[in-house]
Parts: sequence; C-alpha cells; structure tokens
Amino acid sequence: MTDEFDFYAVEPATSARERREIRALLGSCGLDYEEHIQVFVVCRAAGRLVACAGLESNIVKCCAIDPELRGGSLSLTLLSEIVHLAYERGHSHLFLYTRPENVSFFQGCGFYALAEVPGYVTLMENTPVGIRSYCDRLRALRPQGLPPDAKIGGIVINANPFTLGHQYLVKLAAARCDWLHLFVVSEDVSFVSYRDRYALVEEGVRGIERLTLHHGSQYMVSRATFPDYFFKEKGVVGDCCTAIDLLLFRNHIAPALGITHRFVGTEPFCETTRKYNADMKFWLQGAGSTAPAVTVIEEARTRAGGTPISASEVRRLLRSRDLDRIRALVPAPTFELLREKYLSKILPFAPDPLGHGGESDALPRRAVAAGI
Amino acid sequence: MKIVKEALAGTLESSDLLVKVSPGPGTGLEVVISSEVMQQFGLQIDHVVRDTLARLGVTAGLVVVEDKGALDCAIRARVQTAVMRGAEAQTIDWSALS
Amino acid sequence: MKLRRSMLFLPGANAAMLSTAFVYKPDSIMFDLEDAVSLREKDSARILVFNALQLPVYREIETVVRINPLNTPFGHLDLEAAVRAGVDVVRLPKTDSAEDVEVLEREVERIERACGREIGSTKLMAAIESASGVINALAIAKASPRLIGIALAGFDYVMDMQTERGDGTELFYARCAVLHAARAAKIDAFDVVWSDLNDEAGFLKEVDLIKRLGFNGKSLINPRQIELLHNAYAPTEEEVEYAGRVVTAAAEGERKGLGVVSLNGKMIDGPVIDHARRVLQRAEASGTRK
Repeated sequence: MTDEFDFYAVEPATSARERREIRALLGSCGLDYEEHIQVFVVCRAAGRLVACAGLESNIVKCCAIDPELRGGSLSLTLLSEIVHLAYERGHSHLFLYTRPENVSFFQGCGFYALAEVPGYVTLMENTPVGIRSYCDRLRALRPQGLPPDAKIGGIVINANPFTLGHQYLVKLAAARCDWLHLFVVSEDVSFVSYRDRYALVEEGVRGIERLTLHHGSQYMVSRATFPDYFFKEKGVVGDCCTAIDLLLFRNHIAPALGITHRFVGTEPFCETTRKYNADMKFWLQGAGSTAPAVTVIEEARTRAGGTPISASEVRRLLRSRDLDRIRALVPAPTFELLREKYLSKILPFAPDPLGHGGESDALPRRAVAAGI
Repeated sequence: MKIVKEALAGTLESSDLLVKVSPGPGTGLEVVISSEVMQQFGLQIDHVVRDTLARLGVTAGLVVVEDKGALDCAIRARVQTAVMRGAEAQTIDWSALS
Repeated sequence: MKLRRSMLFLPGANAAMLSTAFVYKPDSIMFDLEDAVSLREKDSARILVFNALQLPVYREIETVVRINPLNTPFGHLDLEAAVRAGVDVVRLPKTDSAEDVEVLEREVERIERACGREIGSTKLMAAIESASGVINALAIAKASPRLIGIALAGFDYVMDMQTERGDGTELFYARCAVLHAARAAKIDAFDVVWSDLNDEAGFLKEVDLIKRLGFNGKSLINPRQIELLHNAYAPTEEEVEYAGRVVTAAAEGERKGLGVVSLNGKMIDGPVIDHARRVLQRAEASGTRK
C-alpha cells in the first residue's frame, strides 16, 4: 500500500520554478502569493502541484488545495506536514487566519479560535491551552487588596525607543488609576531590540507606584494579531484591521487583570491615529463583544518645542545624527544607549533602516503609524 | 522520562492522531484530549494516554492529543514517539512500550 | 507448508493502513521501515509497527518487518523493535552475500536471548537487490536455517544493472537465478512488486509469467492486487479434481503400506503428490480460478 501524494518542503527564495507553480496554484484558488513566506510544504500528485501551505515564522499562510482534490484526506495530511515542518524549524506555537466558515475545518486540525470578527475573519492558534495558560499567568500577577470597583489601567507600548512622551503618558495614567498594567511589545523586530526597549522602560518607570510592568506576548500587538496580510488579500479594509488585536485584549487580557481603562496617546492632527483610536473605542467599548467594556482614554502627547514627542521623530533625528535635539525628547538612559549603541548602526548610503522599508516586516505598519 | 522540549508525533489523518508534548507551564502533568469520537471514546483515550505516559515515567508536562479515531495501539505509539522526541531519549526501554 | 502468494507492503509510518490492512487477507503482511518511510519518521514508524504487531489480529496472519540495512543508523533499532514485538519474519533489504544474513542471524539471536523469546523462532527473509546478490543467491539462500525465502527486488537491481524496468527481459536472468537458489535451498521465492496500479493487464501478464516460472508469489503494494493474484494462482476445477484423486490415492497407498502409489494404473511419485497438495491448498484458500 502506498501514498499517491508526494510531500516536501520548498524554500521559495531558492527555487523559481516551484515559486511559479505555487503562485499559479494560489491564483487558481483566489489567493495572493505572500512574499514574506520563508518555506512552503508542497504536495505533488503524478508530478502536478496540487496543494501548498506556507510559513512566515510561526504563522501559517497561503494554504491551498486544488479544487478537484478537496474534501478528501489531502487537507489533513497537508496540515500535518506544515505543523511538522514548523516544529522542525523551531516553531511550536502556530497561528493562522481564516474566514469564519472554515473554522470548523481547522478545529479538526488541532487549531482553536482566539478571536473572530463576525463575517470576516477568525484568528486561531494550534493549542487548546495557549491563551488560557497565558491568562492564568497574568491572573497570578493581579495586585491584591484592590476594591471591586477599582479603576485599573492598561497601556501597550513598543517604545522604539522609550521617550519622554511615553514616560509622561505612563505617569499620567498611573496617577489616574488604582493600578496600572504596562506592557512592552515583545515582537523583536524593531530598530531597538526588545531587550533594550524593555530595560529602558523598566528604568524609565522606576518609582512610579501602583504599576506592574509586563513583557508583551504573541497575543498583543504582534505579527500574529495584526493580520495585514490577510486583510490585503481579502480586500477587507478599514474597521477590521485592528479588531483582532483589540478583541483579544478585551476578551482575554483585560478580564484576566481586571483592566477597566486603556490609555493611549494621541496627536490632534494625525488622521491615522485618530482612526486607530476610533477603532479602539469601537472594539473595546462597543457592542462587538460580550466581554466587559474597556474604556479608552486618549491623552494628548506631551510636546517639546511645539511638536508632539514621538518615537518615530526620535528615529528620524537619529538618522540625521541630530543628537542635541534627541536629548530634549528622551530620558537620559535612552539618550546614552542611542548614542553608544544605535548611532553606529546607521550606515551612510545603506538602505534606510528606519523608514517603512526597514519597519514594514517589523511591526505591522498600522500599529507603528498609530504610535504604539 | 522527562520532557525537556516541545515535540510532535503523528498526523491528523483518519485513524491516526497528532500528539504534542511540552515541558508545560506548571509542575504537574496536564493532558488535553480532543477527538472526533470524544462522546463514545473520550474516557478510553484518556486512559490509554495516561497509562502510556505512566509506563514511560512521565509525571510532568503538557500533552495535547488531536485524535482522528485511532486504535489504541496507534495512540500508544504516537504518545511514546512524542515523549521520546521531547525527552531527547538516546536509548529505548522496549519493555516500557509493550 | 505455508502459503505465501501475496506479501502486502505497508508503509510503517501510516497508522490508518496499519490499523486496517488485515481485512484484505494477504498471505503475509510486510510492515516497511525502509524505503516507504521518510528519514523524519524512522523513529515513529518503528514504534508504530512495534505497537501494531501486538494487535491480536496480527497473530492470525504472517507478519514480516522490512528493516533498514544494518549498516544504517536505523537497522539495529528496527531489528530490536521487530524481534521484541514478536514478528514472524524479518526481511533484510539489499542482501549481497551470505555474510549479510549471518550478521543478521547473530543479532536476532542476541535479541531473542535478551528479551526471552524462543531462540530460532524469528524467521528471516533476504531481499536480493544487486548483481552481487544475484550471483551469490545460492549462498544467501543457504546461509541460515531461519530463512523462509528470498525475494528479488527489481528497482535497485535494474539500476545496479544499468538498465530500467521494461517488459521483463531485464529481470530474466535474476528471476531464474533467485528461483533456482531458493529451490535448491528448499525455501520460498518471491518476485518483484508491480508498481503501475492502473495497468491491471500488465500486472496479470507478469503474474502469469512468474507463476509459470515457479515463484511462490509476489510482493504487492496495493490491496486491490491481492484478489487478482490469488485468483491467478488458484487452480482450475480440473486441476483440483485430479489433485484430489492423487492425494486420495496417496493416502490409500499409505494406509495399505504400499511402497508405490498408483492412479489409473500409472505410478505417481513424491513430487507429484507434493504438487497435488499445493494445488488443494491454493483451492482451499481461494477456490478455483474465475
């Protein structure tokens, strides 16, 4: 007895022929080819490419099966193979996006729904205990002795790098709450490393009372929670882009810590921020979820010399080596680190590491633009 | 055996199962089973999985099973393989497998 | 006298096939740990086969495990699993010399002692897959009393011969050599697999050829081929009727203590009686040819 299907892994960067065939198969299934995929599992039957599934780090993408071969065992084998390949490459915690009508299929493949934008998209992970044990760990960090009606705040920052603007927002929020939970985005793809970002935040919030500093996670402002790719592919734009990330926060993270308010900085004339903050209000406060609402508090950014302080402005100044102006925007430890470690990383004539080119495969553009 | 790293064994094909093991967040043993035949055979599957783990001396970690209607012998085999992969076992104690 | 017409190959890593293959009722089932298993799944296939062999249903059918060659990192572990699980027969691939069988036999005996299995209860089978193997076929066939048969494996053999599979001409010498070696050593001989599942006529033509040459049977890769093969090996009604009379006459001769057996006035000797018994055995297993 033998299998009629031949499965193997393909690195699209090194095989133009395979890449062409994968592109054609995806096209025939109404899907776009994703440039960031590092490896595909492909399946051939009698030499013909009949199925594929790709991995961008720990996110499963571009799953397609020849329409003639759907409904049989091929899809289950394909999913088995992609999961094995991910493990081999060191990724055991996997995510995928799918349309809600396909959720039951992926549930049969060991994936569990995390958040759904009804009618549009569902984010799934390949473990029944992932979000649950993450929330258990958060719950264990809940401060004791707070009154039941306590005002508990939450802030998520990337701090790339940590500025006086971040510091101001944190202090302000802490003063207005009974307790504040501060998260540093852990996806380590920004200009300033996660280790450095976290250390600078830790240093910068020292002494602020009633505050817990948390490491970020895959469940919060990560490549997994911002499905840029999926929405581009499906032509879904606007309201949904940030919905999955915000629903995860409202439905899982906020209840685990009892967070009642989320603080966010705002720039009065920035359209992107305005839109993002409107999304935040819609998904955290609106009727899109049965979990308790989280009130969104917008705080105008602190200014230095007339312009709001933002991390992207600091990076821009670093690029033009304008250290004097940076000094006025960041706490001293940030300044020292930028001067000693990061200034030398900016090479003349090299591709811009700070613009969209360097940032696009880092945090989702939308999260960056929104000032997280 | 001690599970020291994440490991996987088996497939999602019919009559097979996918077993994932990991050191786990807590100190104890957690077994999570999902099966197409949970109603009729959930307890039986749970028993086979735990019995297999006990024979291998696994007392801690997280074991996740996605069952596709596998026979007991396949359940045992996949659990044993996943544990050995996750324990980075160099030698096999066959008597613990039968 | 064990009937071995069909030996069904199962990929050792495939749980579904291992869980259901017995329903097709081949004469022997061969769990493959070698070519049908990817490098990634060598360990899981070994453990799956170890467990499957302990299913009660596999005690009622002859089981064979094809191990990886003993000079690979997998061979010894495969052997350990197969012998300890109580397999009937271990099939050694890529057998080039009698020494390969002797090395295998020593290892099998060591494992039998270690796990308390009856010494000698694990039978062996050698697959010949090279020009050297074909030249040494007789020595291989006589290398161990545990050998129940030798098999020709065509895929590697034709490559070693710098040719490819065709109408069978390319296997002519090898088939004859392997068959003669097996008969001289009084063990079974098995022919190559037929891999084109869609060419049923080609399969039946090849089966007709190897049956006439004298092979006991064939390795199969698809359960659909089992019934076709068994039917081709089934005797006609006339053959069954004649064989029945031969066996009755032999029994009669034995009962009367006669040194000579005769039927319709003609003397019949040992080989004829043996042949008649084989005909009846095949008829009992699969009826008469349709």
